[in-house]
Amino acid sequence: MVELIGVEKTYPNGTVALREVNLKIEKGEFVFLVGPSGSGKSTMVKLLLKEEDVTEGEVYVNGYDVTSMTLQEVPYLRRSLGVVFQDFRLLPNKTVYENVAFAMVITEALPKEIRRQVPMALALVGLSRKANMYPNQLSGGEQQRVALARALVNNPALLIADEPTGNLDPETSWEIMKLLSEVNHRGTTVIVATHEKSIVDEMKKRVVAISKGLIVRDQEKGLYRDEDKNCPAYN
Amino acid sequence: MKIRTVRHIIKEGAINSYRNKLMSLASVMIVTATLVVFGFFLLAAYNLEGNIKVWKEAPQLQAFCYEELDDTQIQKVEDSIRNNDKIASYYKVTKEEALQRAKEKLGKSSELLDGFGEIFPVSFEIKLKDTAYSKDVVAALEKNSGIKEVNYSQDVIDIISRVSYWVKLGSSFMVTMFLIISIFIISNTIKLTVFARRKEINIMKYIGATDWFIRWPFVVEGVIISVIGAAVAFVISTYGYNAIQVNFSQDLVIASKQLLTLSKVQEVWSQLALYYLLIGTIVGTMGSFLSIRRYLRV
Repeated sequence: MVELIGVEKTYPNGTVALREVNLKIEKGEFVFLVGPSGSGKSTMVKLLLKEEDVTEGEVYVNGYDVTSMTLQEVPYLRRSLGVVFQDFRLLPNKTVYENVAFAMVITEALPKEIRRQVPMALALVGLSRKANMYPNQLSGGEQQRVALARALVNNPALLIADEPTGNLDPETSWEIMKLLSEVNHRGTTVIVATHEKSIVDEMKKRVVAISKGLIVRDQEKGLYRDEDKNCPAYN
Repeated sequence: MKIRTVRHIIKEGAINSYRNKLMSLASVMIVTATLVVFGFFLLAAYNLEGNIKVWKEAPQLQAFCYEELDDTQIQKVEDSIRNNDKIASYYKVTKEEALQRAKEKLGKSSELLDGFGEIFPVSFEIKLKDTAYSKDVVAALEKNSGIKEVNYSQDVIDIISRVSYWVKLGSSFMVTMFLIISIFIISNTIKLTVFARRKEINIMKYIGATDWFIRWPFVVEGVIISVIGAAVAFVISTYGYNAIQVNFSQDLVIASKQLLTLSKVQEVWSQLALYYLLIGTIVGTMGSFLSIRRYLRV
Protein backbone atom coordinates (compact mmCIF):
# COMPACT_ATOMS: atom_id res chain seq x y z
CA MET A 1 0.00 0.00 0.00
CA VAL A 2 2.69 2.45 1.11
CA GLU A 3 6.39 1.87 0.81
CA LEU A 4 9.32 4.17 1.41
CA ILE A 5 12.72 2.84 0.42
CA GLY A 6 15.88 4.63 1.51
CA VAL A 7 14.15 7.99 1.56
CA GLU A 8 16.15 11.10 2.26
CA LYS A 9 14.75 14.59 2.26
CA THR A 10 16.82 17.72 2.47
CA TYR A 11 15.10 21.06 2.01
CA PRO A 12 16.72 23.69 -0.20
CA ASN A 13 17.74 25.66 2.90
CA GLY A 14 19.84 22.71 4.01
CA THR A 15 17.52 21.32 6.67
CA VAL A 16 17.65 17.56 6.68
CA ALA A 17 14.09 16.43 7.37
CA LEU A 18 14.34 12.70 6.76
CA ARG A 19 17.28 10.36 6.45
CA GLU A 20 17.46 6.75 5.37
CA VAL A 21 13.78 6.07 5.98
CA ASN A 22 12.50 2.59 5.16
CA LEU A 23 8.86 1.94 5.87
CA LYS A 24 6.28 -0.48 4.60
CA ILE A 25 2.60 -0.25 5.42
CA GLU A 26 0.32 -3.07 4.32
CA LYS A 27 -3.23 -2.84 3.13
CA GLY A 28 -5.73 -2.54 5.99
CA GLU A 29 -3.23 -1.37 8.60
CA PHE A 30 -3.78 1.45 11.07
CA VAL A 31 -0.50 3.26 11.70
CA PHE A 32 0.36 6.11 14.02
CA LEU A 33 3.22 8.30 12.94
CA VAL A 34 4.48 9.90 16.14
CA GLY A 35 7.20 12.32 17.04
CA PRO A 36 7.65 15.88 18.26
CA SER A 37 7.27 18.92 16.03
CA GLY A 38 10.08 19.11 13.54
CA SER A 39 10.78 15.40 13.75
CA GLY A 40 9.93 14.85 10.10
CA LYS A 41 6.44 13.38 10.28
CA SER A 42 4.86 16.24 8.36
CA THR A 43 7.55 15.91 5.74
CA MET A 44 6.71 12.25 5.42
CA VAL A 45 3.05 13.09 4.85
CA LYS A 46 4.09 15.67 2.24
CA LEU A 47 6.16 13.07 0.43
CA LEU A 48 3.20 10.69 0.33
CA LEU A 49 1.05 13.41 -1.24
CA LYS A 50 3.87 14.51 -3.54
CA GLU A 51 3.67 17.97 -2.13
CA GLU A 52 7.42 17.60 -1.75
CA ASP A 53 9.83 15.46 -3.74
CA VAL A 54 12.31 13.10 -2.14
CA THR A 55 15.95 14.03 -2.36
CA GLU A 56 16.84 10.39 -2.57
CA GLY A 57 15.04 7.06 -2.39
CA GLU A 58 11.71 5.78 -3.63
CA VAL A 59 8.12 6.27 -2.54
CA TYR A 60 5.20 4.06 -3.56
CA VAL A 61 1.63 4.92 -2.61
CA ASN A 62 -1.49 3.08 -3.67
CA GLY A 63 0.32 1.51 -6.59
CA TYR A 64 1.68 4.87 -7.80
CA ASP A 65 5.41 5.34 -8.18
CA VAL A 66 5.38 8.73 -6.49
CA THR A 67 9.06 9.38 -7.04
CA SER A 68 8.98 9.33 -10.81
CA MET A 69 5.44 10.50 -11.53
CA THR A 70 4.89 13.62 -13.62
CA LEU A 71 3.10 16.69 -12.31
CA GLN A 72 0.09 15.84 -14.46
CA GLU A 73 -0.34 12.56 -12.62
CA VAL A 74 -0.30 14.09 -9.13
CA PRO A 75 -4.05 14.91 -9.02
CA TYR A 76 -4.85 11.27 -9.75
CA LEU A 77 -2.59 10.10 -6.95
CA ARG A 78 -4.36 12.48 -4.58
CA ARG A 79 -7.81 11.36 -5.70
CA SER A 80 -6.87 7.82 -4.81
CA LEU A 81 -6.26 8.88 -1.21
CA GLY A 82 -8.31 10.64 1.38
CA VAL A 83 -6.53 13.37 3.32
CA VAL A 84 -7.51 15.08 6.56
CA PHE A 85 -5.63 18.03 8.01
CA GLN A 86 -5.33 19.68 11.36
CA ASP A 87 -7.03 22.85 10.08
CA PHE A 88 -9.91 20.99 8.36
CA ARG A 89 -9.49 22.88 5.06
CA LEU A 90 -13.16 23.21 4.20
CA LEU A 91 -14.46 25.67 1.63
CA PRO A 92 -16.14 28.38 3.74
CA ASN A 93 -18.65 29.45 1.11
CA LYS A 94 -19.95 25.96 0.44
CA THR A 95 -22.34 23.99 2.60
CA VAL A 96 -21.38 20.76 4.31
CA TYR A 97 -23.04 18.82 1.51
CA GLU A 98 -21.31 20.86 -1.20
CA ASN A 99 -17.95 20.52 0.48
CA VAL A 100 -18.22 16.76 0.44
CA ALA A 101 -19.72 16.68 -3.05
CA PHE A 102 -16.90 18.87 -4.33
CA ALA A 103 -14.39 16.05 -3.93
CA MET A 104 -16.52 14.13 -6.40
CA VAL A 105 -17.20 17.06 -8.73
CA ILE A 106 -13.50 17.44 -9.42
CA THR A 107 -13.28 13.80 -10.44
CA GLU A 108 -16.08 14.46 -12.95
CA ALA A 109 -18.29 11.91 -11.21
CA LEU A 110 -21.85 11.42 -12.39
CA PRO A 111 -24.42 13.58 -10.58
CA LYS A 112 -26.28 10.39 -9.78
CA GLU A 113 -23.19 8.97 -8.11
CA ILE A 114 -22.68 12.18 -6.16
CA ARG A 115 -26.27 12.15 -4.89
CA ARG A 116 -25.78 8.61 -3.69
CA GLN A 117 -22.29 8.81 -2.21
CA VAL A 118 -22.44 12.13 -0.35
CA PRO A 119 -25.34 11.25 2.00
CA MET A 120 -23.63 7.96 2.72
CA ALA A 121 -20.40 9.69 3.67
CA LEU A 122 -22.27 12.21 5.80
CA ALA A 123 -24.19 9.43 7.54
CA LEU A 124 -20.93 7.66 8.29
CA VAL A 125 -19.60 10.69 10.18
CA GLY A 126 -23.03 11.40 11.74
CA LEU A 127 -23.67 14.76 10.10
CA SER A 128 -26.65 14.01 7.87
CA ARG A 129 -28.76 16.56 9.71
CA LYS A 130 -26.25 19.35 9.19
CA ALA A 131 -25.82 18.88 5.46
CA ASN A 132 -27.08 22.36 4.61
CA MET A 133 -25.07 24.25 7.19
CA TYR A 134 -21.91 26.20 6.44
CA PRO A 135 -18.58 25.29 8.04
CA ASN A 136 -18.56 28.39 10.27
CA GLN A 137 -21.84 27.21 11.82
CA LEU A 138 -20.21 24.00 13.02
CA SER A 139 -17.97 23.14 15.94
CA GLY A 140 -14.37 22.14 15.33
CA GLY A 141 -15.15 18.48 15.79
CA GLU A 142 -18.02 18.68 13.34
CA GLN A 143 -15.86 20.47 10.80
CA GLN A 144 -13.25 17.76 11.07
CA ARG A 145 -15.95 15.16 10.53
CA VAL A 146 -17.00 17.01 7.36
CA ALA A 147 -13.38 16.88 6.23
CA LEU A 148 -13.37 13.20 7.00
CA ALA A 149 -16.56 12.66 4.99
CA ARG A 150 -14.94 14.51 2.10
CA ALA A 151 -11.84 12.35 2.38
CA LEU A 152 -13.91 9.20 2.31
CA VAL A 153 -16.53 10.06 -0.27
CA ASN A 154 -14.48 8.72 -3.18
CA ASN A 155 -13.91 5.44 -1.30
CA PRO A 156 -10.14 5.75 -1.09
CA ALA A 157 -8.06 2.74 -0.22
CA LEU A 158 -5.79 4.90 1.91
CA LEU A 159 -6.62 7.65 4.37
CA ILE A 160 -3.90 10.00 5.58
CA ALA A 161 -4.62 12.22 8.57
CA ASP A 162 -2.06 14.88 9.47
CA GLU A 163 -2.60 15.92 13.09
CA PRO A 164 -6.37 15.48 12.72
CA THR A 165 -7.02 16.29 16.36
CA GLY A 166 -4.52 19.11 16.75
CA ASN A 167 -7.24 21.75 17.00
CA LEU A 168 -9.75 19.76 18.98
CA ASP A 169 -10.45 19.21 22.67
CA PRO A 170 -9.72 15.71 24.08
CA GLU A 171 -13.29 14.52 23.96
CA THR A 172 -13.84 15.53 20.36
CA SER A 173 -10.46 14.10 19.50
CA TRP A 174 -11.66 10.76 20.70
CA GLU A 175 -14.72 10.93 18.50
CA ILE A 176 -12.56 11.55 15.47
CA MET A 177 -10.21 8.74 16.41
CA LYS A 178 -13.11 6.34 16.85
CA LEU A 179 -14.32 7.31 13.41
CA LEU A 180 -10.88 6.73 11.93
CA SER A 181 -10.78 3.38 13.64
CA GLU A 182 -14.16 2.51 12.20
CA VAL A 183 -13.04 3.53 8.75
CA ASN A 184 -10.07 1.23 9.22
CA HIS A 185 -12.34 -1.63 10.23
CA ARG A 186 -14.17 -1.20 6.96
CA GLY A 187 -10.94 -1.98 5.17
CA THR A 188 -9.32 1.39 4.54
CA THR A 189 -5.65 1.72 5.36
CA VAL A 190 -5.21 4.62 7.78
CA ILE A 191 -2.09 6.62 8.56
CA VAL A 192 -2.36 9.16 11.38
CA ALA A 193 0.42 11.61 12.13
CA THR A 194 -0.05 12.86 15.66
CA HIS A 195 1.57 13.78 18.92
CA GLU A 196 -1.46 13.02 21.10
CA LYS A 197 0.14 10.69 23.58
CA SER A 198 -3.02 9.58 25.37
CA ILE A 199 -4.77 8.56 22.17
CA VAL A 200 -1.81 6.63 20.82
CA ASP A 201 -1.34 4.84 24.09
CA GLU A 202 -5.00 3.93 24.35
CA MET A 203 -5.55 2.72 20.79
CA LYS A 204 -2.75 0.15 20.79
CA LYS A 205 -2.06 0.31 17.08
CA ARG A 206 1.14 0.11 15.14
CA VAL A 207 3.34 3.05 16.08
CA VAL A 208 6.13 4.42 13.91
CA ALA A 209 8.17 6.90 15.90
CA ILE A 210 10.27 9.48 14.14
CA SER A 211 12.92 11.63 15.68
CA LYS A 212 15.28 14.00 13.94
CA GLY A 213 14.40 12.51 10.59
CA LEU A 214 15.02 8.92 11.57
CA ILE A 215 12.57 6.13 12.26
CA VAL A 216 13.60 5.25 15.81
CA ARG A 217 10.91 2.69 16.56
CA ASP A 218 8.35 0.65 14.66
CA GLN A 219 6.15 -1.33 16.96
CA GLU A 220 2.92 -3.28 16.70
CA LYS A 221 0.45 -2.29 19.43
CA GLY A 222 2.90 0.34 20.53
CA LEU A 223 2.81 3.26 22.89
CA TYR A 224 3.67 6.88 22.20
CA ARG A 225 6.82 6.58 24.25
CA ASP A 226 8.74 3.39 24.52
CA GLU A 227 9.14 1.92 28.00
CA ASP A 228 12.74 1.20 27.12
CA LYS A 229 14.68 4.08 28.62
CA ASN A 230 17.60 3.55 26.27
CA CYS A 231 15.53 4.78 23.42
CA PRO A 232 15.93 8.46 22.49
CA ALA A 233 13.31 10.63 24.12
CA TYR A 234 11.24 12.93 21.99
CA ASN A 235 10.34 16.03 23.86
CA MET B 1 -13.81 17.40 -20.50
CA LYS B 2 -17.38 16.62 -19.63
CA ILE B 3 -20.27 19.03 -20.08
CA ARG B 4 -21.04 19.17 -16.36
CA THR B 5 -17.43 20.10 -15.74
CA VAL B 6 -17.66 22.87 -18.32
CA ARG B 7 -20.83 24.09 -16.62
CA HIS B 8 -19.10 24.01 -13.26
CA ILE B 9 -16.14 25.96 -14.62
CA ILE B 10 -18.33 28.65 -16.21
CA LYS B 11 -20.34 28.97 -13.03
CA GLU B 12 -17.19 29.33 -10.93
CA GLY B 13 -15.82 31.94 -13.33
CA ALA B 14 -19.02 33.95 -13.13
CA ILE B 15 -19.01 33.72 -9.34
CA ASN B 16 -15.37 34.82 -9.30
CA SER B 17 -16.06 37.93 -11.33
CA TYR B 18 -19.15 38.74 -9.30
CA ARG B 19 -17.44 38.27 -5.95
CA ASN B 20 -14.70 40.59 -7.07
CA LYS B 21 -17.21 43.27 -8.13
CA LEU B 22 -15.13 46.39 -7.77
CA MET B 23 -12.07 45.17 -9.63
CA SER B 24 -14.24 43.49 -12.23
CA LEU B 25 -16.03 46.78 -12.78
CA ALA B 26 -12.74 48.63 -13.12
CA SER B 27 -11.57 46.04 -15.65
CA VAL B 28 -14.81 46.23 -17.58
CA MET B 29 -14.42 50.00 -17.74
CA ILE B 30 -10.85 49.90 -18.98
CA VAL B 31 -11.76 47.36 -21.63
CA THR B 32 -14.70 49.54 -22.64
CA ALA B 33 -12.49 52.62 -22.84
CA THR B 34 -9.90 50.78 -24.87
CA LEU B 35 -12.43 49.46 -27.29
CA VAL B 36 -14.22 52.80 -27.66
CA VAL B 37 -10.91 54.44 -28.54
CA PHE B 38 -10.14 51.56 -30.84
CA GLY B 39 -13.61 51.86 -32.37
CA PHE B 40 -13.15 55.59 -32.93
CA PHE B 41 -9.97 55.02 -34.90
CA LEU B 42 -11.38 52.01 -36.66
CA LEU B 43 -14.38 54.00 -37.85
CA ALA B 44 -12.24 56.96 -38.84
CA ALA B 45 -9.94 54.69 -40.84
CA TYR B 46 -12.91 52.86 -42.32
CA ASN B 47 -14.50 56.08 -43.53
CA LEU B 48 -11.25 57.52 -44.89
CA GLU B 49 -10.55 54.25 -46.69
CA GLY B 50 -14.03 54.29 -48.17
CA ASN B 51 -13.63 57.84 -49.41
CA ILE B 52 -10.18 57.24 -50.80
CA LYS B 53 -11.52 54.28 -52.73
CA VAL B 54 -14.20 56.48 -54.28
CA TRP B 55 -11.64 59.13 -55.23
CA LYS B 56 -9.36 56.57 -56.75
CA GLU B 57 -12.11 55.48 -59.08
CA ALA B 58 -12.86 59.05 -60.04
CA PRO B 59 -10.69 60.63 -62.76
CA GLN B 60 -7.55 61.96 -61.24
CA LEU B 61 -6.73 64.58 -63.82
CA GLN B 62 -8.72 66.83 -66.07
CA ALA B 63 -6.85 68.49 -68.93
CA PHE B 64 -8.60 71.47 -70.59
CA CYS B 65 -7.72 72.42 -74.17
CA TYR B 66 -7.67 76.01 -75.43
CA GLU B 67 -11.20 76.99 -76.43
CA GLU B 68 -10.13 78.03 -79.93
CA LEU B 69 -8.55 74.73 -81.01
CA ASP B 70 -9.98 73.11 -84.13
CA ASP B 71 -10.74 69.39 -84.46
CA THR B 72 -7.35 68.39 -85.90
CA GLN B 73 -5.53 70.16 -83.10
CA ILE B 74 -7.77 68.48 -80.56
CA GLN B 75 -7.07 65.16 -82.29
CA LYS B 76 -3.34 65.82 -81.81
CA VAL B 77 -3.84 66.39 -78.07
CA GLU B 78 -5.95 63.24 -77.87
CA ASP B 79 -3.26 61.23 -79.66
CA SER B 80 -0.61 62.40 -77.26
CA ILE B 81 -2.80 61.35 -74.33
CA ARG B 82 -3.54 57.99 -75.89
CA ASN B 83 0.16 57.38 -76.50
CA ASN B 84 1.17 58.24 -72.98
CA ASP B 85 1.81 54.81 -71.42
CA LYS B 86 1.35 56.12 -67.89
CA ILE B 87 -2.29 56.84 -68.57
CA ALA B 88 -4.69 53.98 -67.96
CA SER B 89 -7.74 55.50 -69.66
CA TYR B 90 -9.28 58.81 -70.59
CA TYR B 91 -12.65 60.23 -71.41
CA LYS B 92 -13.15 63.03 -73.91
CA VAL B 93 -15.58 65.73 -72.77
CA THR B 94 -16.86 67.54 -75.85
CA LYS B 95 -17.99 71.17 -75.91
CA GLU B 96 -21.62 70.02 -75.99
CA GLU B 97 -21.20 67.74 -73.05
CA ALA B 98 -19.37 70.43 -71.09
CA LEU B 99 -22.27 72.78 -71.77
CA GLN B 100 -24.74 70.13 -70.70
CA ARG B 101 -22.88 69.57 -67.44
CA ALA B 102 -22.75 73.25 -66.73
CA LYS B 103 -26.49 73.52 -67.37
CA GLU B 104 -27.17 70.70 -64.94
CA LYS B 105 -25.23 72.54 -62.31
CA LEU B 106 -27.14 75.74 -62.84
CA GLY B 107 -30.48 73.97 -62.83
CA LYS B 108 -33.34 76.48 -63.21
CA SER B 109 -31.24 79.26 -64.64
CA SER B 110 -29.71 76.97 -67.28
CA GLU B 111 -31.24 78.96 -70.17
CA LEU B 112 -28.77 81.67 -69.35
CA LEU B 113 -26.18 79.52 -71.07
CA ASP B 114 -28.13 78.97 -74.29
CA GLY B 115 -25.98 79.92 -77.23
CA PHE B 116 -22.76 80.03 -75.24
CA GLY B 117 -21.68 76.50 -76.17
CA GLU B 118 -18.54 77.77 -77.87
CA ILE B 119 -17.01 79.20 -74.71
CA PHE B 120 -16.62 75.76 -73.14
CA PRO B 121 -13.34 74.04 -73.92
CA VAL B 122 -12.93 70.41 -74.85
CA SER B 123 -11.38 68.50 -71.95
CA PHE B 124 -10.01 65.06 -71.20
CA GLU B 125 -10.70 63.20 -67.94
CA ILE B 126 -7.70 61.05 -67.33
CA LYS B 127 -7.10 58.05 -65.11
CA LEU B 128 -3.55 57.08 -64.33
CA LYS B 129 -2.08 53.61 -64.13
CA ASP B 130 -0.61 54.57 -60.80
CA THR B 131 -1.04 57.69 -58.73
CA ALA B 132 2.75 57.84 -58.42
CA TYR B 133 2.88 58.94 -62.11
CA SER B 134 0.77 62.02 -61.52
CA LYS B 135 3.67 64.52 -61.44
CA ASP B 136 5.22 63.17 -64.66
CA VAL B 137 1.93 63.12 -66.51
CA VAL B 138 0.95 66.60 -65.35
CA ALA B 139 4.33 67.91 -66.50
CA ALA B 140 3.94 66.19 -69.90
CA LEU B 141 0.42 67.54 -70.36
CA GLU B 142 1.39 71.07 -69.39
CA LYS B 143 4.15 71.03 -72.04
CA ASN B 144 1.57 70.20 -74.69
CA SER B 145 0.83 73.41 -76.59
CA GLY B 146 -2.86 72.55 -77.04
CA ILE B 147 -3.54 72.25 -73.33
CA LYS B 148 -4.36 75.35 -71.40
CA GLU B 149 -4.80 74.00 -67.93
CA VAL B 150 -4.55 70.76 -65.96
CA ASN B 151 -6.86 70.28 -62.99
CA TYR B 152 -5.27 68.12 -60.53
CA SER B 153 -7.07 66.75 -57.45
CA GLN B 154 -4.27 64.37 -56.66
CA ASP B 155 -2.65 66.77 -54.23
CA VAL B 156 -5.69 66.67 -52.04
CA ILE B 157 -5.99 62.93 -52.38
CA ASP B 158 -2.34 62.52 -51.51
CA ILE B 159 -2.75 64.66 -48.43
CA ILE B 160 -5.78 62.72 -47.31
CA SER B 161 -4.08 59.42 -48.07
CA ARG B 162 -1.22 60.54 -45.94
CA VAL B 163 -3.58 61.62 -43.18
CA SER B 164 -5.24 58.24 -43.43
CA TYR B 165 -1.87 56.55 -43.15
CA TRP B 166 -0.99 58.52 -40.04
CA VAL B 167 -4.40 57.94 -38.55
CA LYS B 168 -3.88 54.23 -39.03
CA LEU B 169 -0.36 54.30 -37.66
CA GLY B 170 -1.28 56.51 -34.72
CA SER B 171 -4.35 54.51 -33.91
CA SER B 172 -2.47 51.21 -34.10
CA PHE B 173 0.01 52.61 -31.65
CA MET B 174 -2.58 54.00 -29.27
CA VAL B 175 -4.77 50.96 -29.49
CA THR B 176 -1.79 48.69 -28.82
CA MET B 177 -0.96 50.73 -25.74
CA PHE B 178 -4.52 50.55 -24.53
CA LEU B 179 -4.69 46.84 -25.21
CA ILE B 180 -1.56 46.24 -23.17
CA ILE B 181 -2.98 48.32 -20.34
CA SER B 182 -6.23 46.36 -20.54
CA ILE B 183 -4.43 43.06 -20.44
CA PHE B 184 -2.48 44.13 -17.39
CA ILE B 185 -5.51 45.42 -15.57
CA ILE B 186 -7.46 42.27 -16.29
CA SER B 187 -4.51 40.18 -15.21
CA ASN B 188 -4.35 42.23 -12.03
CA THR B 189 -8.03 41.59 -11.38
CA ILE B 190 -7.50 37.89 -11.90
CA LYS B 191 -4.48 38.07 -9.63
CA LEU B 192 -6.64 39.49 -6.86
CA THR B 193 -9.14 36.69 -7.36
CA VAL B 194 -6.35 34.16 -7.26
CA PHE B 195 -5.12 35.65 -4.00
CA ALA B 196 -8.62 35.82 -2.57
CA ARG B 197 -9.07 32.16 -3.40
CA ARG B 198 -5.60 30.99 -2.45
CA LYS B 199 -6.91 28.78 0.30
CA GLU B 200 -9.57 27.34 -1.90
CA ILE B 201 -7.08 26.59 -4.67
CA ASN B 202 -4.86 24.89 -2.14
CA ILE B 203 -7.73 22.74 -0.91
CA MET B 204 -8.67 21.83 -4.47
CA LYS B 205 -5.12 20.72 -5.09
CA TYR B 206 -5.16 18.50 -2.03
CA ILE B 207 -8.33 16.74 -2.98
CA GLY B 208 -6.98 15.99 -6.42
CA ALA B 209 -8.29 18.67 -8.78
CA THR B 210 -6.32 18.80 -12.01
CA ASP B 211 -4.46 21.98 -12.85
CA TRP B 212 -6.86 22.90 -15.60
CA PHE B 213 -9.87 22.27 -13.47
CA ILE B 214 -8.46 24.95 -11.18
CA ARG B 215 -7.29 27.26 -13.95
CA TRP B 216 -10.26 27.37 -16.29
CA PRO B 217 -12.58 29.36 -14.02
CA PHE B 218 -10.01 32.15 -13.97
CA VAL B 219 -9.83 32.18 -17.75
CA VAL B 220 -13.62 32.30 -17.84
CA GLU B 221 -13.55 35.22 -15.43
CA GLY B 222 -11.20 37.17 -17.70
CA VAL B 223 -13.30 36.44 -20.74
CA ILE B 224 -16.54 37.40 -18.97
CA ILE B 225 -15.03 40.72 -17.91
CA SER B 226 -13.74 41.60 -21.33
CA VAL B 227 -16.81 40.47 -23.22
CA ILE B 228 -18.99 42.64 -20.96
CA GLY B 229 -16.53 45.47 -21.61
CA ALA B 230 -16.80 44.82 -25.34
CA ALA B 231 -20.60 44.82 -25.22
CA VAL B 232 -20.68 48.15 -23.38
CA ALA B 233 -18.14 49.60 -25.81
CA PHE B 234 -20.23 48.37 -28.72
CA VAL B 235 -23.37 50.07 -27.44
CA ILE B 236 -21.50 53.33 -26.77
CA SER B 237 -19.73 53.42 -30.11
CA THR B 238 -22.67 52.48 -32.31
CA TYR B 239 -24.97 54.99 -30.59
CA GLY B 240 -22.27 57.64 -30.63
CA TYR B 241 -21.40 57.01 -34.24
CA ASN B 242 -25.01 57.02 -35.29
CA ALA B 243 -25.56 60.36 -33.56
CA ILE B 244 -22.54 61.86 -35.31
CA GLN B 245 -23.47 60.38 -38.66
CA VAL B 246 -27.08 61.60 -38.50
CA ASN B 247 -26.28 65.09 -37.24
CA PHE B 248 -23.01 66.00 -38.91
CA SER B 249 -22.74 63.93 -42.08
CA GLN B 250 -24.37 66.71 -44.12
CA ASP B 251 -22.15 69.40 -42.66
CA LEU B 252 -19.06 67.35 -43.34
CA VAL B 253 -19.97 66.77 -46.96
CA ILE B 254 -20.45 70.49 -47.45
CA ALA B 255 -17.40 71.54 -45.45
CA SER B 256 -15.16 69.14 -47.36
CA LYS B 257 -16.57 70.17 -50.77
CA GLN B 258 -18.09 66.72 -51.23
CA LEU B 259 -14.78 64.98 -50.64
CA LEU B 260 -15.78 63.32 -47.40
CA THR B 261 -18.85 61.32 -46.59
CA LEU B 262 -19.69 59.21 -43.53
CA SER B 263 -20.92 55.65 -43.87
CA LYS B 264 -24.23 54.85 -42.26
CA VAL B 265 -24.13 52.99 -38.93
CA GLN B 266 -25.85 50.02 -40.58
CA GLU B 267 -22.79 49.52 -42.74
CA VAL B 268 -20.30 49.51 -39.90
CA TRP B 269 -21.91 47.88 -36.87
CA SER B 270 -21.30 44.25 -37.82
CA GLN B 271 -17.63 44.87 -38.44
CA LEU B 272 -17.37 46.71 -35.16
CA ALA B 273 -19.14 43.91 -33.28
CA LEU B 274 -16.82 41.31 -34.77
CA TYR B 275 -13.68 43.25 -33.87
CA TYR B 276 -14.92 43.98 -30.36
CA LEU B 277 -15.82 40.40 -29.65
CA LEU B 278 -12.53 39.15 -31.04
CA ILE B 279 -10.36 41.68 -29.24
CA GLY B 280 -12.39 41.34 -26.05
CA THR B 281 -11.94 37.60 -25.97
CA ILE B 282 -8.24 37.79 -26.80
CA VAL B 283 -7.58 40.47 -24.20
CA GLY B 284 -9.52 38.57 -21.53
CA THR B 285 -7.82 35.29 -22.25
CA MET B 286 -4.36 36.85 -22.35
CA GLY B 287 -4.94 38.73 -19.12
CA SER B 288 -6.07 35.57 -17.40
CA PHE B 289 -3.20 33.48 -18.68
CA LEU B 290 -0.70 36.11 -17.60
CA SER B 291 -2.02 35.93 -14.03
CA ILE B 292 -2.42 32.20 -13.99
CA ARG B 293 1.15 31.71 -15.16
CA ARG B 294 2.49 34.10 -12.58
CA TYR B 295 0.36 33.56 -9.54
CA LEU B 296 -1.33 30.21 -9.81
CA ARG B 297 1.36 27.70 -9.08
CA VAL B 298 -0.54 24.50 -9.06
